[in-house]
Amino acid sequence: MRIKLLHFFVIVLFVSLAVSLANLTIFQGEKFRDLSNKNCIRLIPQEGARGKILDTNGEMIVGSSISYDVVVLPQEREALEKTFSGLSVLLGVSTEELWQKFRRGYSEPSVPVSVVKNISLEKAVSIEERKLDLDGVVIQSGAVRFYPYGALASHILGYLSQIDRWRLTKLADYGYKTKDIVGMGGIEEKYDYYLRQEGGGLSVEVDHQGRFSRVLGFRPAQSGKDVQLTLDLRIQKITEIALEGKTGAVVMMDPESGEILAMSSAPNFAPSLFVNKANKSVSNLFADPASPFLNRAITGLYPPGSVFKPVVAVAGLETNKINMVTTYNCPGFLAVGRREFKCWDTHQNQNLLQAIAHSCDVFFYKTGLAVGAQGIHDYALRFGLSRPTAIELPYEESGFIPNPIWKKIYKFQKWYDGDTANFSIGQGEVLTTPLQICRMMAVFANRGKLVTPYLIKAIDGVDVSANHRRISPMAFKNSTINNINKGLRGAVSEEKGTANVLANLGVSVAGKTGTAQNPRGLSHGWFVGYAPYEKPRYVICVLLEHGAHGYSAAVVAKRIFELLMQQGLI
Amino acid sequence: MSTTFKILIAAILIAVIGIMSIYSSASRKEGELWETLCQRQMIWVALGLLAFWFFFKFNYRWLWDWTYFIYGVVVFLLSLVFILGIVRLGAQRWLNLVWFNFQPSEIAKLITIMFLAKYFSMKSVDDVALKASKFGLWRALILPFIFVAIPVFLIIEQPDLGSGAIVFMIFFIMLYLSNVKLRFIIIFLALLGLAIPVGWNFLRDYQKDRIMVFLNPNIDPLGAGYTVIQSKIAIGSGGFFGKGWLSGTQSQLKFLPESHTDFIFATFSEEWGFLGAVILIGLYFFIIQQGIRIAERTSDHYGKLLALGITLMLGMQTCVNISMNMGLAPVVGLPLPLMSYGGSSVIVTFIALGILANVSKTRAVF
Repeated sequence: MRIKLLHFFVIVLFVSLAVSLANLTIFQGEKFRDLSNKNCIRLIPQEGARGKILDTNGEMIVGSSISYDVVVLPQEREALEKTFSGLSVLLGVSTEELWQKFRRGYSEPSVPVSVVKNISLEKAVSIEERKLDLDGVVIQSGAVRFYPYGALASHILGYLSQIDRWRLTKLADYGYKTKDIVGMGGIEEKYDYYLRQEGGGLSVEVDHQGRFSRVLGFRPAQSGKDVQLTLDLRIQKITEIALEGKTGAVVMMDPESGEILAMSSAPNFAPSLFVNKANKSVSNLFADPASPFLNRAITGLYPPGSVFKPVVAVAGLETNKINMVTTYNCPGFLAVGRREFKCWDTHQNQNLLQAIAHSCDVFFYKTGLAVGAQGIHDYALRFGLSRPTAIELPYEESGFIPNPIWKKIYKFQKWYDGDTANFSIGQGEVLTTPLQICRMMAVFANRGKLVTPYLIKAIDGVDVSANHRRISPMAFKNSTINNINKGLRGAVSEEKGTANVLANLGVSVAGKTGTAQNPRGLSHGWFVGYAPYEKPRYVICVLLEHGAHGYSAAVVAKRIFELLMQQGLI
Repeated sequence: MSTTFKILIAAILIAVIGIMSIYSSASRKEGELWETLCQRQMIWVALGLLAFWFFFKFNYRWLWDWTYFIYGVVVFLLSLVFILGIVRLGAQRWLNLVWFNFQPSEIAKLITIMFLAKYFSMKSVDDVALKASKFGLWRALILPFIFVAIPVFLIIEQPDLGSGAIVFMIFFIMLYLSNVKLRFIIIFLALLGLAIPVGWNFLRDYQKDRIMVFLNPNIDPLGAGYTVIQSKIAIGSGGFFGKGWLSGTQSQLKFLPESHTDFIFATFSEEWGFLGAVILIGLYFFIIQQGIRIAERTSDHYGKLLALGITLMLGMQTCVNISMNMGLAPVVGLPLPLMSYGGSSVIVTFIALGILANVSKTRAVF
């Protein structure tokens, strides 16, 4: 019984399918054949504006400005020959170039192709005026990225470019399509999901002459969300001025919260190059041996050299291998096994405070040997080295801290005391990024807390910094941190301190220089420190790639502090 | 001519029509991908015929013994897709097997039918009559519902709303056919009606969009609405005799997206017109008629339910897909059985037809 009823139902369904088929093909067939012959449905996409990137005070770092693109409709193919010759007169572009652009941009008959991008308002108006002669041309207004400060903070921001195949396979599920413009590097890439606009558009019906007759449907375009950074534009500008003409990186951070106040890497690039794709200059940049696209603050790996010594000092004090009265004699070298490890000077008797201030290698060789390589390794990891800091930027490197077991497993070699000696002055296999070193110094500046550096303050006006701020107290003795701080202050204030150049600034700085030897040319120069000594507001880390000496880095830091004071920021 | 033979001939005819349409929709598009589509579909059909023969050969009672095991395997596969989906942060309908992508939701439709057929054809020891008509609410409705809801949930999460809805409809029809008390079914439908507003909130944004677009195709002129409009133009412009094979303009010039998968019916009827399309619908109807006839002749209740379930599954998918092509149903992403490009769909359909033929062959034994 029930089967019969269901059978009847199926018959009804199929009959109604046939009936509606007849309705479409026979009764309405004429109308649809018309529509099909004329292809008279046009899609006119409209783009929203990409979200802005703001600094901590709400100042715009990157925004959008309006642009006019010349777009042609592929359906008008027969008329294009005439149209292009008209356009080439108006715009001063050869017809061959227009055809080439058209062929390259063509994807579907229904999708308009943009042939000339970002023309001036006057030209756009003149094309609009001659619209009747130019069949199939539409002036489409859109938004292009606008960089009011040129190359400023280019590594943090990143740039925009057409999506590549690799990203497309990853992002297709999120609605990304070929030829989408996406962020590459920096915040533009990491926060593309928030920043990106959503396209809308019109579908319109046109008559057989291609003239608009009615709107069939409309979906409004949506603009992207604004992202506010913790970056302070004023400080960022200062760091970029100080780095000008050099190769290296500067990171400035709030020691209490971990907010990144400035992060610059030199050489840099102008992201606006990607707006009007001047392909030549972009490919030149990519081929540049100085790698201007590399964000040296987070992707550059450098041996830390002497700036690693505070970590060794903490390890020594915390494991009670040394104390404040421990004194080692520095005759300018130390014999470990059959090798002699040199100090950069002859310091004679040094206690911890003096050793930090004068950066005595022998003192730290001995301290390191007393603590042992595994011990130094463990303390270095507690300072967040050898792993990414989790800053909201793509392509962060994790750095590396060696240990005896690693050497055994990966290099099939025994760990010698000589390795420990090298390790304790931050040489050998140790690799760090400037951001990691800055974070390490923040532990001393804030008296014993490991902060997580972060860059994002708010998204779309909603404060999200609480999600990024992570501050974990470290279980060090108060005296340990305070004593090392005294040493760091000594490096600046003492006449023979390595960072003495920063002494008479009017603001009390504490810090440590480093000169990191490396197999590829001149040593890298480091300065890492904080100011003011009594109540630190800024942690600063300067790295000069092949800068020869830590002194040069301290000079850069001096220039930064001077400028900060001029502007009343410290 | 035996029923099996009739079904097989009709299925092969449809598959050949499908291959021709795929060839046509791909013929003017560039790129090697398109060139291989047609060849691959031929391989799928050949494998499908093998599967048909295999499932035709053995006694379908063997399926009875293994139903719960196969059910478990399919739920496992679906969970695997689900977990991979979480890991890869996005939509996931496929399992990447070594040499092709397998879509477990296709086979889930079939196993749901087998499961319910077995569940509702249980007999008590001392009574030849079916138990289902005497089942209380728990055993007639809630328990099987839970077993169906697990795969349905996993399918909808993939997210594949169309297949999920089809499995659900199969469940409802199987309840009806198993002589479950009518008032239970009415209660069930009423609850379902109440659940729709709640369920709306659980749909993904794009699924909501699709339903909204179905109600008014013009709100999304660049997406699904565009497809529906183009598909209607393609079908309508075919007229009575069609534009002729390889001469369709809508489907070939890329005005119509998905012209070789979900919208293959539009491609076909643009070129073959009303006449061709009615013959195609007739072929599907013929298979379904044969299926119902097999079910009516089978005295074994398991076989009967199995045959009906399979027949109605094919019928529903066909109806929903063709309605979708004509703009009468939401664009839910369901393939047209035997015609749409895609290995999982073709092979599973042939397996289902194999089981159907098997029931037809074996019916006298019980």
